[in-house]
Amino acid sequence: MIEKVLIANRGEIALRVIRTCKALGIKTVAVYSDEDYNSMHVKQASEAYHIGEAAPAKSYLNQEKILDVMLSAGADAVHPGYGFLSENDDFARLCEKNKITFIGPSADSMNLCGDKMRCKAAMLKAQVPTVPGSPGLVKDADEALSIANDIGYPVLLKSVYGGGGRGIRLVTNDNELLEGFETVTSESISAVGKSAIIVEKFLEKTRHIEYQMARDQHGNAVHLFERECSIQRRNQKLIEQTPSPVVDQETRDRIGELVVRASEAVDYTNLGTAEFLRADNGEFYFIEINARLQVEHPISEMVSGLDFVKLQLDIANGEPLPFKQSDLKMNGYAIECRINAEDTFLDFAPSTGPVPDVVIPSGPSVRCDTYLYPGCTVSPFYDSLMAKLCTWGQTFEESRTRMLAALNDFYIQGVETSIPLYKTILNSEEYKKGELSTDFLKRFSMIDRLTEDLKNEKIDKSEAAIAAAIVHSEYFKSRIQNDASASANWKNKLD
Amino acid sequence: MDYKISDIEKSFDGKIVKNLGNNDYIIKINDNEHKLKIINMNSGGIEFILDQKYHQAKYLEQSTNEMNIVIDNVPIVINRHSHFDEVVYKHSGGAGAGNAQLSLKSQIPGKVVSIAVAEGDSVKKGDVICTLESMKMQVSVKAHKDGVVKSIKIKETASVAKGDHIADIE
Repeated sequence: MIEKVLIANRGEIALRVIRTCKALGIKTVAVYSDEDYNSMHVKQASEAYHIGEAAPAKSYLNQEKILDVMLSAGADAVHPGYGFLSENDDFARLCEKNKITFIGPSADSMNLCGDKMRCKAAMLKAQVPTVPGSPGLVKDADEALSIANDIGYPVLLKSVYGGGGRGIRLVTNDNELLEGFETVTSESISAVGKSAIIVEKFLEKTRHIEYQMARDQHGNAVHLFERECSIQRRNQKLIEQTPSPVVDQETRDRIGELVVRASEAVDYTNLGTAEFLRADNGEFYFIEINARLQVEHPISEMVSGLDFVKLQLDIANGEPLPFKQSDLKMNGYAIECRINAEDTFLDFAPSTGPVPDVVIPSGPSVRCDTYLYPGCTVSPFYDSLMAKLCTWGQTFEESRTRMLAALNDFYIQGVETSIPLYKTILNSEEYKKGELSTDFLKRFSMIDRLTEDLKNEKIDKSEAAIAAAIVHSEYFKSRIQNDASASANWKNKLD
Repeated sequence: MDYKISDIEKSFDGKIVKNLGNNDYIIKINDNEHKLKIINMNSGGIEFILDQKYHQAKYLEQSTNEMNIVIDNVPIVINRHSHFDEVVYKHSGGAGAGNAQLSLKSQIPGKVVSIAVAEGDSVKKGDVICTLESMKMQVSVKAHKDGVVKSIKIKETASVAKGDHIADIE
């Protein structure tokens, strides 16, 4: 039985894990960098250990140091959260070797999930459809050409060492392919010194739909429904919702069976996520398994009624899943908005610094997972995610209007946030109708519409703002002209 | 006083028309009169009811010409033509001709943000001696006469009360 968990993470996810542990009477060990001594997770854990400098490589990614803390604190399990060491199979193996329970899949399974080519091969074997393309690396441009002609243009040429838009080309005919093959090869070589290219069919107007999966150590597996995460910027999710507006019960069951099969194909244990692309024609293609508890897990908790961290602990303790697929039923609708510290108008550049004041929304069916408190600081060293705002509703419309109300209540002073953008998105007809796709922001010119909305909001508030300014100015004038120092009561000093 | 909200073309003329007592006021914005009830107010912000609607404003950084406020969670920058510097200057005796008075006194309570001169400096009437912050607004205090700074009576970050001695200029 797990009795003391070290959380090898920071921010809201560390708090999320601590919360469930506390509720279950499990002791928690926090770790923190120089940057985080004043952070909430340090204050909430049973114990907190300093592990190094601000830069992640010198603290939250320092496996040896974290192992030292686990051993000296007597932790019998480690929760990796997401990011940092969460999908590092070397770390999972290090924990296994030291008889510390890694709350997640086995090191071998994690390694397989992380190796895109081997994982894809395992899925093909298990008859889980993947995006059409080369079965592995292509050896030269000629092979790429013949595959492209087989699956049909447009295709993507991708370096397996690429990422963030580098080492990737969209080509629509033979000539472009030959040219693109050269560029991707040289980009990849200049970036990482080697090149390995795969060919994949390019799918337009795709949706990102993923399934929460759970599998215990005895081989029982279920899916915990889908999440649609199509609203993204630069391949990072911004808004997630469940259920997806394009997944009906028949589809949910059909793809859900594939998900269970996918979890078996890689011998997955604990909670994970199977990600799919859904093409405009309704076809689902497996992309990858995220071998961790995901950022957006709270919306699935809301519609399933489960505590996923508790479920993770139970599975890690070797307990069988307490339910079968047929026991699970989706209840209502949930939306998550990732409240990021970033400037929408500066191409989502990070915005960091002190947060002197913050007002966190609450109320029935409103959940906010956050590390923010008045007087905290948003650090430039880590992820820009400050808070996850989730709302539930009996209908989609109820979850949407509840989210808008909660966004209006959310106030974060000192940094730019993505809140105004989310208000524009949630108010749009396209969002209401569920016309989602991974290029949603661009396709519907959301940034331009945000500019317009912000202006209208200012016009709407102008009289109240002027009233506040008048009082300020008049009071200030009175301080100069009269002897104001004698009275502490500001209100009576206006005339 | 004239106000302008950035990003909005319109400008606003606003003033308090009448104090009805009990924290109730009549204010006028452009041609319309409004009822305003102050619930709470301090240097950090104000809560009030305008006509029948509650509002909350935070006063962030201010200069005499630019106000940064957050009204009902919406950040707004307001430009105003306040002439506060001039008012302070005038009250320091700066407007009068041939002021023989030695000491420069503060006309407002506030915190000393910066001191622009050192003892022994020659200054001209109207030169900035120091900058004070009051109600999150920065106001410069200017020399009321030509002369040499004999002594400085304030320190940076210290507070001064209205009427406090700032410097002697001879």
